Amino acid sequence: MTCIAYHRPTSLGAALELAAENPDARFIAGGTDLLVKLRKRVHASPAALISLRRIDELARVEVGECLRIGAAVPLADLAVNEHVRERLPALTDALATFGSRQIRNVATLGGNLGNASPGSDAAPPLLVHDARLELRSTSGVREIPLAEFFRGPGETALGAGEIVTAILVDGPSEGAVSVFFRKSRVSMDIAIASVAVLLEVDGTRCTKARVAAGAVAPTPLRLEAAEAALEGTALDEAACAAAVASVDAAIAPISDVRAEEWYRRHVTAVLLRRALMRLAGSTAAVPTGGGGVS
Amino acid sequence: MSEPLDSGTPRDTLSRRSFLKGAGTVAAAGGVLGHPAHGEAPAAPDQDGPETIEGTVEVELNINGETVQVEVEPRTTLLSALRHRLQPPLTGSKEVCDRGDCGACTVSIDGKPAYSCLQLAVDLKGKEIRTIEGLGTPERMSPVQDAFCEHDASMCGFCTPGFVMATTVCLEKHPDADLDKIKHEISGNLCRCGTYPHIFTAALDARDRMREDR
Repeated sequence: MTCIAYHRPTSLGAALELAAENPDARFIAGGTDLLVKLRKRVHASPAALISLRRIDELARVEVGECLRIGAAVPLADLAVNEHVRERLPALTDALATFGSRQIRNVATLGGNLGNASPGSDAAPPLLVHDARLELRSTSGVREIPLAEFFRGPGETALGAGEIVTAILVDGPSEGAVSVFFRKSRVSMDIAIASVAVLLEVDGTRCTKARVAAGAVAPTPLRLEAAEAALEGTALDEAACAAAVASVDAAIAPISDVRAEEWYRRHVTAVLLRRALMRLAGSTAAVPTGGGGVS
Repeated sequence: MSEPLDSGTPRDTLSRRSFLKGAGTVAAAGGVLGHPAHGEAPAAPDQDGPETIEGTVEVELNINGETVQVEVEPRTTLLSALRHRLQPPLTGSKEVCDRGDCGACTVSIDGKPAYSCLQLAVDLKGKEIRTIEGLGTPERMSPVQDAFCEHDASMCGFCTPGFVMATTVCLEKHPDADLDKIKHEISGNLCRCGTYPHIFTAALDARDRMREDR
């Protein structure tokens, strides 16, 4: 393939029709992943690219009972969006160090999730906030929990001609706090491991806990054993220690150029411990002392 | 048949010269301009250009305050257009990694730093593009350029234009940036020679000079 066709529809309907008519076409938004993969020949050159840059409805953040983040909003805009900061603090944490300024200016949340990188920094924060994805094709629209979207490295629940059109997160619960921690050797590098935690506390009791991790399994994933160890407790030292201890059996990291498997296991546990301690200041229920954070 | 996405960077298979010869024939084979994606006419006359682009098209770019016409293909990146398609070419923006890792190709698009290797030129009609050539001249350098020279902030110099652009845009947006802020904002630029201490000194000095000029 030498000359690709480049489609730049101005409506979502036209974009989906183009995708249905051109099964080999690929959608492009920020292009920070796709252009690199095309150049590295990870993907064969598609017969056509369908740009999502001119579609206004994908570029909006709508605030109601549910926060609706258009799939093609640049990450730099989300990083300074007050509604995102208020409702999804862990995502704001993640966006602060996501790629570089140049990447954040064009990269999009829909593109990042659609790429299904195991090390996506956006996924763990959205997982702990029980985010749902709105998917559309010419056949219609459907919603799917983010936790069911990832199927493997680069593999998602998207059907042919289907795209992520929005990320949906229900309104914040009273007393909910969340945080995101990552570990990488240098800035710009893909995470060795990342952890997001959300806690809801009623008085001194944890009524809801969500824990998710990235870069330590074929997909970003919820750590349900850790959640179970925290929910219903007073978030005392024993509960936190049990949550941290449950991490090892729940993840399946690889050894690669960035870190050995054992180190990823160690770092994931440390990050969870740090996240719980950071949230201590917000909930007053998590113990602040001890814990052996290294 | 597979060819590099970016016609300016055939490093895997062909020399630049032989590839450019080939690209001419490819360009001649294309050339369908602006035909609507569907039977109907586009919703509104689109000032950003046609809905579908195939083959070679002429795109109007605003570079350093001047409007120029450049012949590109959909796959042509801004970096490739600057270095290989413009007459005369603007080679200040460097091609190093060509995959959005290193920052040597950093330019400003509508006042925001961008990797020109990850921007398709056809998307940029109506955008204000600034390159290193638009900042200053050897005789009359910009504050950032001047500070980089004075503090010896380059060794091999290949990353320097990108660092100067990233620093310039950072200081224009954040005139009171401290060292941490500057480090954060220019962390998308890499220097393999390791001149970072000098770069940071230069950036802080440039900040102070720009403050005095305010």
